[in-house]
Amino acid sequence: MRDDDIIVLKEPELTPAERLYLPQILDGLKTTLRHMFDLQRRHAVVHQYPEQTREDTGELRTANYHGVHRLNKDPDGRVACVACFMCSTACPAHCIHIEAGESPWPDREKYPVQFDIDELRCIYCGLCEEACPVDAIELTPLYELVSCTREELILDKEKLLQIYEETKGIKPRRNPPVTDYGLTGTQGLDVAEPNMKRKV
Amino acid sequence: MPTLLIAILTLGAVGLFLAMPGGRADTRRVGWVVLAAAGAVLLALLLRLVPGADPRGLFAGFALVAVFAALRVITHGKPVYSALYFILLIFAVTGLLVLLEATFLSMALVIIYAGAILVTYVFVIMLAQQSRPAPYDVKSREPVWGCLAGFLLLILLARQIELFLVPAQRTPLPAPIAEAPGTIEAVGVPLLTEYVVAIQIIGLLLLAALVGAIAIARRRPTTRAESEGDE
Amino acid sequence: MTDPTIKRIETVLRKPAVIFGAGAAILLLVTALLALAFPLYKPLLSSQFSFSMIVLAVMLVLILSATALCILFERKIAGFTQDRYGPNRVGFWGLLQPVADGLKFLLKEDIIPRHVDKPLFLLAPALALAASLLGFAIIPWAGQVRWPWMPPDAPPLSTQVANLNVGFLYLLAVGSLSVYGVVLAGYASNNKYAFYGGMRAAAQMISYELPLGLGLLVVLLVSGTLQLDQIVQQQAATGVWNIFLHPIAFFLVLVSALAEANRAPFDLPEAEQELVGGYHTEYSAMKFAMFFLGEYAHMITSSALIVALFFGGWHFWGLPGPENVTWWAMLIKLAVYLTKVALFIALFMLVRWTLPRFRFDQLMRVAWQSLVPIGVALLAATAALTYLGWQRNVWASLAANLLLLAVLLRSAARSKRPVTARQEDLPEIDVRPTT
Repeated sequence: MRDDDIIVLKEPELTPAERLYLPQILDGLKTTLRHMFDLQRRHAVVHQYPEQTREDTGELRTANYHGVHRLNKDPDGRVACVACFMCSTACPAHCIHIEAGESPWPDREKYPVQFDIDELRCIYCGLCEEACPVDAIELTPLYELVSCTREELILDKEKLLQIYEETKGIKPRRNPPVTDYGLTGTQGLDVAEPNMKRKV
Repeated sequence: MPTLLIAILTLGAVGLFLAMPGGRADTRRVGWVVLAAAGAVLLALLLRLVPGADPRGLFAGFALVAVFAALRVITHGKPVYSALYFILLIFAVTGLLVLLEATFLSMALVIIYAGAILVTYVFVIMLAQQSRPAPYDVKSREPVWGCLAGFLLLILLARQIELFLVPAQRTPLPAPIAEAPGTIEAVGVPLLTEYVVAIQIIGLLLLAALVGAIAIARRRPTTRAESEGDE
Repeated sequence: MTDPTIKRIETVLRKPAVIFGAGAAILLLVTALLALAFPLYKPLLSSQFSFSMIVLAVMLVLILSATALCILFERKIAGFTQDRYGPNRVGFWGLLQPVADGLKFLLKEDIIPRHVDKPLFLLAPALALAASLLGFAIIPWAGQVRWPWMPPDAPPLSTQVANLNVGFLYLLAVGSLSVYGVVLAGYASNNKYAFYGGMRAAAQMISYELPLGLGLLVVLLVSGTLQLDQIVQQQAATGVWNIFLHPIAFFLVLVSALAEANRAPFDLPEAEQELVGGYHTEYSAMKFAMFFLGEYAHMITSSALIVALFFGGWHFWGLPGPENVTWWAMLIKLAVYLTKVALFIALFMLVRWTLPRFRFDQLMRVAWQSLVPIGVALLAATAALTYLGWQRNVWASLAANLLLLAVLLRSAARSKRPVTARQEDLPEIDVRPTT
């Protein structure tokens, strides 16, 4: 670094009024008073939440909102997760608990027998979504997560799959099968098309 | 009459000695019993002898609270509690002063003692707070001499009280002056006319004390440049 | 997910007609009861002592509910200044929020930590609230009143709990006591943050008592009496409020009152960002609420004091003056007084949401290097005016104030001292080993 790169900033000299401090206080009061009686701005800024949601105003970004998790299903309706433990490893809050079992399907080795997410420990950082190699776990735009007990907020596999069913309307599964597993059953080639392209 | 007063005071002094911090717990308890006995006799005496019907109960109540608080100031082991009992004492004395219609003096007492001096005390005590109580809080240093000196002082005072209490010489309390005696005018005008020299001297003394305190407390941090110049 | 009955109750309570209707109904009921019971308490109204007791009871109820309402208004004003709505869920415009707050405080677990000094821990919130409420005794709420059934030559009653001849000296005395609640809470909590809060409170109170006293002394010199009702009477008789005579003294008292009430920008004892919660870190439930109520009660006392001393109390031009002692005039005066107090409380709150908090050394410097010298200078000037007999002359007083302001401005402009000292502005300290 050269010497002339350093910019020496000097504090601005205070005027006598500023030194007396009182005029500045009046200035500040003027600002707060202006905001106090600015009804228009207040209406524009504030959402009256339960009656007026961000979905209504179209301000909710459903594509990347970090809300409750879901477990995606593949086009066959099976759980897309392959129990690779990437998400629970990536999770900084250690809120994902997976028990893997041998897959009954020929196209993958493992599948989650149990898949629990403690939504109370989760910090909604989205790292699980980033880590997932098959895009099975995703964060949905659902943010109204309430319950009467703590136990209810430890979501299990069934609940997470159900959330997928509920939310696939507003947020379709981003990019169906990224797996290299072969196609099975009714799955059409067109679904697998993007991945074929990506492999090349 | 004097013998009775002296007996009460002796009882009080012995009780106080026993109740001083540092002794065994049961000894201190005995001390409190003795003190309570002395207090009860004194209260009976006061109620019987103090003239005037109406404020007598109030007077006795305030006096009792004052004496109890004063005892706790010196017998309590924790300095913060001592300071708080001091405040209680001041309030009791304020009550007594209000009974005497010395309202200005009473308010001045509260403002100066409770409002300023004791806040400073509590401040200092909190600053100097140790993890465990200091030895001088746990054990009183000179209980014998302290109690004896206080006892002698009270005897001297009692001689005055005794004159006042002897029924033959008991004079009715002076009738309240029409102009309330304790108002700020009644206190302020003599202070600035009759006692003006004394006030000035006191002011001078306080100023000297203030300057002295600043002179002692002020140790100016020398800047490095200055100290280099010295060397 | 929500209980439909609860939801229905909520929507019903949020209708303005319901809230105002209920309020009007309660008011009507109380008025009817009072009218029915009138023969019972009519003799009580005629003697000064029992009338003072009635004033005490009424004002106590009024002020305790006002402190609860103050919390709502504080949050409302906080919301408004930040372009929000503030609480508006419980009842119309959030008017039932104080009830909800109170219920919540009552139902919360009352925790007494194991390491605290228990007697003092319990004593502190009670002291904080009691000391704040004591000051109401001498506020002259509505001047004097003579009931229609009293003989016309009877001395009018004063709507004051106690007309002490030491007047606002009493206010100074009880005002200085309010620090004990804070200091004891800090000490008893046995927690370093609470402790720092208590220490700061003690130092702050001692420092700001001086400018407060100096400002009050100026009023004393002007009015020649300590009794608040007489001070108000004087202002009402001449129509010249003391603020017109001594704006600087008003400023001194206002700043000191803010500091004494531990309000922003002087809320260092409870500075959330530095001290968790300050002196009430360890408190919960109703004991915490008592600190809150104490703070707001102190704010109302300070406002009432300032209004009486500088803003003519119940006086307003064109409204009934001191010679009108009918009961309806009393009600109007009371309304005027309460309006002024409410305006001051609003100012206090606005200041809180406008100004950043002082640093501790700045706080001390403001008190000792700015306010106290100003106060002494102003006191000397007023003493000179009083000697000349011009103490109630508006032009003379204003001239003295302006002169003082000019001197201040000049000295401030000429001084090269940094306004906020920084570490690098301080001289390097050479710590030598003491030998």
